[in-house]
Amino acid sequence: MTSPATESAGTVGPLVIGVGNEVRGDDAAGLQVARDLRPLVGDRVRIVESLGGVAELLDLWDGRGRVYLIDAVRSGGAAGKWLRLRVGAEPLPSSLAGTSTHGLSIASAVALGQQLGRMPTHLVVYGIEAVRFDAGSPLSPEVLGAVRQVTVALADELGRVGTPTPVAVRRS
Amino acid sequence: MSERTIAVDYLARVEGEGSLHVKLREGRVDHVELRIFEPPRFFEAFLRGRMYSEAPDITARICGICPVAYQMSSVHAMEQAYGISVGGSLRALRRLLYCGEWIESHALHVYLLHAPDFLGYPDAIHLAKDDPETVKRGLALKKAGNALMQLLGGREIHPINVRVGGFYRTPSLEELESLRPVLESALEIAVETVHFAAGLPFPEAEEEYEFVALQHPDEYAMNEGEVVSSRGLRIPASRFDEAFTRAPVGYTSALQSVRKEGTPYLVGPLARYALNGRHLSPRARSVAREVGLEPVVRNPFRSILVRGVELVYACEEALRIIAAYQPPDAPWVEPTGKFHGGVGAAATEAPRGLLYHRYRLAPDGKIETADIVAPTAQNQRRIEEDVRHVVERSLALDDARLTDLCERAIRNHDPCISCATHFLRLEVERT
Repeated sequence: MTSPATESAGTVGPLVIGVGNEVRGDDAAGLQVARDLRPLVGDRVRIVESLGGVAELLDLWDGRGRVYLIDAVRSGGAAGKWLRLRVGAEPLPSSLAGTSTHGLSIASAVALGQQLGRMPTHLVVYGIEAVRFDAGSPLSPEVLGAVRQVTVALADELGRVGTPTPVAVRRS
Repeated sequence: MSERTIAVDYLARVEGEGSLHVKLREGRVDHVELRIFEPPRFFEAFLRGRMYSEAPDITARICGICPVAYQMSSVHAMEQAYGISVGGSLRALRRLLYCGEWIESHALHVYLLHAPDFLGYPDAIHLAKDDPETVKRGLALKKAGNALMQLLGGREIHPINVRVGGFYRTPSLEELESLRPVLESALEIAVETVHFAAGLPFPEAEEEYEFVALQHPDEYAMNEGEVVSSRGLRIPASRFDEAFTRAPVGYTSALQSVRKEGTPYLVGPLARYALNGRHLSPRARSVAREVGLEPVVRNPFRSILVRGVELVYACEEALRIIAAYQPPDAPWVEPTGKFHGGVGAAATEAPRGLLYHRYRLAPDGKIETADIVAPTAQNQRRIEEDVRHVVERSLALDDARLTDLCERAIRNHDPCISCATHFLRLEVERT
């Protein structure tokens, strides 16, 4: 029983994982990118939302080909700054280690996946520098702008089939 | 005057931010401060003005590791306010969902967070390098819990299928039966987990806890029961506030929960096992006996064994519920009669311990006030006592080893900050 509201179909092809917590301010950035991406890439891309738990991520990406993960990070950079990182055989850079806001960090999931041989063949992480995590608060303007940019960049990377629509402002 | 300070920095995390500060003066522990920032504080404000029916979904997002616990405490509280009684298969399904969360949460803690402490690794990643099979065992066990949560909750994380009165959709007999093989396999892994944990080296410790847990006359309490303690307390869960109080302390934004008398207490697996052990399943009891687990465990380092026993129980209980399942006539129970507003309060047993919710509702069903008492807030004072005693017993250790032992003393109780403590940095000041 999978909620159609949170997952797009597709068992082959690229997988996009939007990571975050919907009711904790900028922490929802990855989820928002995942939602905004759907009309742009169609059903050939599987899109899921996740809280970013280590075991959950390993289950999601194990055995997959191309995987794209979007998450809010706190590494001391300016709010709304974002980066794209191709994960290789090396650990994620220390600037990202432990900066995830979801339990054990994304860096931990990558490191554990590498140790256990449970990595996709191609993993790209989009990190959006977040600033506000209050319960119930909307995305900050800076992060909202970054969500828009990352959505377009990721759609281009995946091969766009639709046109971008304005980013929805979440319930406050 | 000789002073020694052990300070562990903050590490920001969504499930809670924590730090530890221990000050020694003249070779004695002067004070211990475990600083925790509990997210529910902010969620309580967020809940005000929302409809009663929104509480399960909103509170499920407080904790990524135990969303079911928050859902369950909120629906029971709302049902008490509305006079709704949920029984039969719907009640059993709730218990089954809770089994999934216990399995998922305990497997995560035992293998990814706690085991590295005993085996001399900084984290599960280093453990996986030398012993991948142990970590894989934990992940396989966790996956069984996830399967239950996905089927009943609608998602593995942040389940959306729970509502006041029951579920939006209930599973078919065939759907539940399809989980039997994975749960039977998980049961064997859980038994193996207890034997694995029994072989770990445990530091000496003996704590005089006042254990507090729900107690049910017929079952190992998860969703329902009276609040009881090892020192004779016995009250309905809805009267929790009569025996416990919360107060702010200067060094943390969390409200520390203590008995009305001002004394600390402990919730969680050690408390459940001590108070309700007679209701464990035969296999769980026999495995506990096989590894020599005493009926009351007062060494907090041995909590990993108790979690293992609860893993066995949760797997067995899930299989029992599936075997007895008859699909309910309706997926949820509707409230009847006119609602005039009022208060609903309930507690359930989250993996980390008793979780209390209290709501005051307006006649139109809107939430006027919300009060959430999380297990970690209840254990905070008691964990500080554990740390104090660990330090007192180990003053001869250098700062690095002493800090390591302090962090382990915290992780014994699986607080929401336990992941963070694996990455905490140490700062030592000597005067």
